[in-house]
Amino acid sequence: MSVVAIPRRSRAELGIADTFAMAGRNIHRLLRAPDQVVFTLVSPILFTLLFRYVFGGAIRGLGSINYVNYLIPGIAVQTAIFTSSNSGFALADDRGNGFLDRLRSLPMARSAVLIGRVLTDTVSNATGLVIIVIVGLAVGFRPHSLPGLVLGFLVLLAFVLATSFLFALVGLYASSSQAVNAATFPVIFPLTFASSAFVPTSTMPSWLRAFANHQPVTTVINTVRDLTLGNVSVAQRHQLFAGQSTTALVVQSLLWTAGIGLVFGYLALRRYNSTNL
Amino acid sequence: MVDEAIAGGIQPRSLGDAPLARPVTGTASPPRPAAVVVDSLVKTFKGEVRALDGVSFEIPTGTVLGLLGPNGAGKTTAVHVLTTLLRPDSGSAHVAGIDVLANPEEARKHMGLAGQFAAVDEGLTGMENLVLVGRLNHLPRAERRARALELLEQFDLADAAGRLLKTYSGGMRRRLDLAAALVARPPVLFLDEPTTGLDPRSRIDLWAVIAGLVADGTTLLLTTQYLEEADRLANTICVIDHGRVIAEGTAAELKSRLGGTTVEVVLPDVDTAARALAALVGVGDGEPVVDGLTVRLATTTGLATTSELVRRLEGAGLDVSSLQLRQPSLDDVFLSLTGQDPHADEDEDETRPAGRRGVKTGRGSR
Repeated sequence: MSVVAIPRRSRAELGIADTFAMAGRNIHRLLRAPDQVVFTLVSPILFTLLFRYVFGGAIRGLGSINYVNYLIPGIAVQTAIFTSSNSGFALADDRGNGFLDRLRSLPMARSAVLIGRVLTDTVSNATGLVIIVIVGLAVGFRPHSLPGLVLGFLVLLAFVLATSFLFALVGLYASSSQAVNAATFPVIFPLTFASSAFVPTSTMPSWLRAFANHQPVTTVINTVRDLTLGNVSVAQRHQLFAGQSTTALVVQSLLWTAGIGLVFGYLALRRYNSTNL
Repeated sequence: MVDEAIAGGIQPRSLGDAPLARPVTGTASPPRPAAVVVDSLVKTFKGEVRALDGVSFEIPTGTVLGLLGPNGAGKTTAVHVLTTLLRPDSGSAHVAGIDVLANPEEARKHMGLAGQFAAVDEGLTGMENLVLVGRLNHLPRAERRARALELLEQFDLADAAGRLLKTYSGGMRRRLDLAAALVARPPVLFLDEPTTGLDPRSRIDLWAVIAGLVADGTTLLLTTQYLEEADRLANTICVIDHGRVIAEGTAAELKSRLGGTTVEVVLPDVDTAARALAALVGVGDGEPVVDGLTVRLATTTGLATTSELVRRLEGAGLDVSSLQLRQPSLDDVFLSLTGQDPHADEDEDETRPAGRRGVKTGRGSR
């Protein structure tokens, strides 16, 4: 009885192959339960309709900007962040039912489980975002240009790839997927609502505005919004984006993305590798 | 009740008791290195529970070690250390000659793990589960499917290959879990309570499968709470309690520790049982013990003790409901070593002092 002969491949090659194997497994499951993606989009679509048609008329401080063009980037960012928390749920489930123990006893790259997870969730996130954009277009959202829309889309995807690592870390500590929900909701909720997602921060009380203007979710929303609105006048830029240029917004978004991704990616990997998982 | 075991001696298994596992002595002549060597493992969890308190054992290549102990004894912790899932505070562990602490990645190539939690993916089919594990074991693409099919056949799951795991019964899931551990044909296999929670039929099926693996030369570490399982599958049994090895040997050796035969008399009522106990003082080896309506005597001379017992009871004018002579079971061994009924599904009593291990008897059912 001998170990099956294994063709020689480099560590990096094996790591990539393992990552694809894990991502393939995740996608396989996702395709079996596409309702998962659909259901996560129900509430953002309801929010879109609610804000577009019910509250939208009462929202001030936008000058000449059409509210629906203001709203959709906010909805998109909020939705994508919520969706990225799936990395936490899925890992908590895999850990809870012992599947992670099996994987950890295999001669595979340990980073593959985490990276495969985050990549899959980002792919499903991209799918959801396409649907949100289509719903947006149906209710009157008109991005200024396709390149702007695509660029905004990519900035957002990079950001939620990073937040996936954050949620993955939570998932690797939580006792169950319900616990992940309990732990993350109180964080996601204020970060996405106390932001520029639905109303301009200039309408908020000063203490809240100070928080809203300086937290990463607002930065990313403003970046996506700036890229999709296009042709933002100096006055509007001042009112909506604290006068920051497109470049400044993009750079800040990418810095937040890199920071969150590196810190939480490292912590999640360390946690996965820890022998007391 | 022919063979009177001599205390401490080695008792050959009778034919009727033949283990499913291949006996150690029947293997190739040159001594082979141990496939698993565990030396002085200590692991303390937060809250001062000493899950492992200096555990050492070896498993010769091609043999089966049964790690036997009550809940919370440290069995799973030991398996987790050996399978690189957990790092001990001190001690060393080698699998297939590889230091699992120094070189965990290499060690993982030589082992398979299956356990009570049936760590398979519910959302995939049986086939997909095995192909995934093959892929993660870096089997060549062409080989993954073939190996998966082979295992599905072997484990009688071929018909269910395309079904989602969600639809599998408990026994099927366990078999698939075991199959997953075997995908890369690891020379050393760790089975952590493989049959816990299974119905008797599934358990017997799984035993047959495991026995087949052992016959093919796999070295196996099996943890179990079921003495029958250890008795049937293991060449050597290592009894572990409160993180320590408290006895090691073949099933026969362990049984012979109890001094061979037990004479059991069941009395019609508690009062009679008490009188019988008094009448039997001095019969057999050591003191007679009462447990409900049953009085037990340990002895190495079964027939002489029995006739003396009958004389005493007749002399006292006591009637009996039943009288039997029996060899100690592993249950008796377990009870005497750990002071616990092995089948009591009780809470883990981790804080109990480790010293309390004398032969305890007369414990009511719980």
